[in-house]
Amino acid sequence: MDQMTLAPARGAERAVSEAKIRLHGAGKTFAVRGTEVEALTPVDLEIGREEFVALVGPSGCGKSTILNLVAGLLQPSAGSVLYDGAPVSGANRRVGYLTQKDTLLPWRSTADNIRIALELKCRATPRREAADRVAQMIELVGLKGFEHHFPAELSGGMRKRAALARTLIYEPETLLMDEPFGALDAQLKLLMLDQLQRLTQHRRMTVMFVTHDLGEAITLADRIVVVSARPGRVRAIHEVQLERPRDVFKIRFTEDFAQQHERLWDELKDDIIKGTEV
Amino acid sequence: MADQAAATPLAFAGSRSGGSALARALATRGGRIGARSALVVLILLAWQFAPAGRATNFWLSSPSLIAGTLWQWILDGTLWVHLQATLAVMAEGYALGCAAGIGLGIALGLLPRLHRVLAPFLAGFYAMPKIALAPLFIILLGVGEASKIALVAITVFFLVLTNTIDGVRDVDRDLVRALTLMGATRLEIIRKVLVRAALPWIFTGMRIAVRYAFTNTLLAELIAANRGLGFLIEFNSGNFNITGAYAGIAVLVLCSVLLTELLSRLETRVSRWRN
Repeated sequence: MDQMTLAPARGAERAVSEAKIRLHGAGKTFAVRGTEVEALTPVDLEIGREEFVALVGPSGCGKSTILNLVAGLLQPSAGSVLYDGAPVSGANRRVGYLTQKDTLLPWRSTADNIRIALELKCRATPRREAADRVAQMIELVGLKGFEHHFPAELSGGMRKRAALARTLIYEPETLLMDEPFGALDAQLKLLMLDQLQRLTQHRRMTVMFVTHDLGEAITLADRIVVVSARPGRVRAIHEVQLERPRDVFKIRFTEDFAQQHERLWDELKDDIIKGTEV
Repeated sequence: MADQAAATPLAFAGSRSGGSALARALATRGGRIGARSALVVLILLAWQFAPAGRATNFWLSSPSLIAGTLWQWILDGTLWVHLQATLAVMAEGYALGCAAGIGLGIALGLLPRLHRVLAPFLAGFYAMPKIALAPLFIILLGVGEASKIALVAITVFFLVLTNTIDGVRDVDRDLVRALTLMGATRLEIIRKVLVRAALPWIFTGMRIAVRYAFTNTLLAELIAANRGLGFLIEFNSGNFNITGAYAGIAVLVLCSVLLTELLSRLETRVSRWRN
């Protein structure tokens, strides 16, 4: 835990004054064929306003469960989940949630899918403006030329990007992302990370980002939460001491980055090895 | 097109035995239509010139006699009166059945508990041949159009209802959740996700229902009517006018072909996104 005392953390002061999201002994058990299975042992976690937090850990460790709790798609079986100080009950409409499975509407073209949030009554947008914003988003995620394709006609990576654009277009104050770039090739992933950093900084979003990729986590996050293998629990929290804005393309080759990566790997490797044995 | 056909073993065998020109011709659209026309003409010629005595002539009639009768019907308006009567009953019953089936289907799809209570009743009515209700409807609603419209409507209703319920229940819950988080209202979710996702199911039900609507309109007219294609066939048969009966059937065949063609074109248009 020495890394936590190294430097005055950017996130620390915020977390004290105004936690955006607070998990308070929040745990989740599921009943599977009559037996209780613990998906997440009670965790305490605070996410500050405008903080970018990455959750890393082996597969099936309950990272997605944490996001589902914050989104209000699951109710905690123990403890509480607070958003802006109030318990989350039912779907949390203040968050944009990019799930692992893309939930594009199969009968809508790429452009129509990306536009859908702007069609809703709660943020009804004039046609012209909506079209402009959709065009911008399509440019941003590199789907130009595929506006009129249906999801079934896109590759997995393209669908992910379309889903990302659909979430970013309405600029939710909090962004929950569950391995959004897993299916992308390395170059494209870097481009997307760069765009994501720009956008979340510019729009002052709070972000919870689940990933397998330690490099991705270090590149983007203020803090990295290490979750251990099933049943999931928070094992350590890392502050990432890297200046912002970060150069997504070059930061991987810096000394600081290498150190962060090594420390994180030491934390995780036991769990990952344990995870593969299960 | 020719390449595709050549890939099938039969066409290959044909090309080896020297019939490649014919095989290639059959692989084109024009060739197929030509072959079909030739087949029809061949059958009609055989029918027309088959050696027949007076008795068989009475039972079999002949294409020229049938064509003459059809021409007569077109000239004196008989055809339009009966065709119109049949199509009107069918269309009205169909529209009623579809509207009720889709509306109630969406409602029951959204209310799974109520649906579970009603499921055995729905299954029972769904499986029952609705034509058995025809005598009942005649007593209740008379021999006029109303009883036939009711029969067609109830047939269509159960087909469309079942498909609509299945369609709404089959919707990917993750899509619903995604839109909920975006802030969609319940009504917006119903309109933008549930109904839209159920549409292919609803169309399937509607397509199947067209055939049932057509069949049951005809059956109802055969049972009791004073106009309509079913009546026309029944009336002519009853008077031992075999030619008239054949002419009526010829009109029916034509209607069926047109309906099928129309439906398959509609279907490809609305489900372009499914591949």
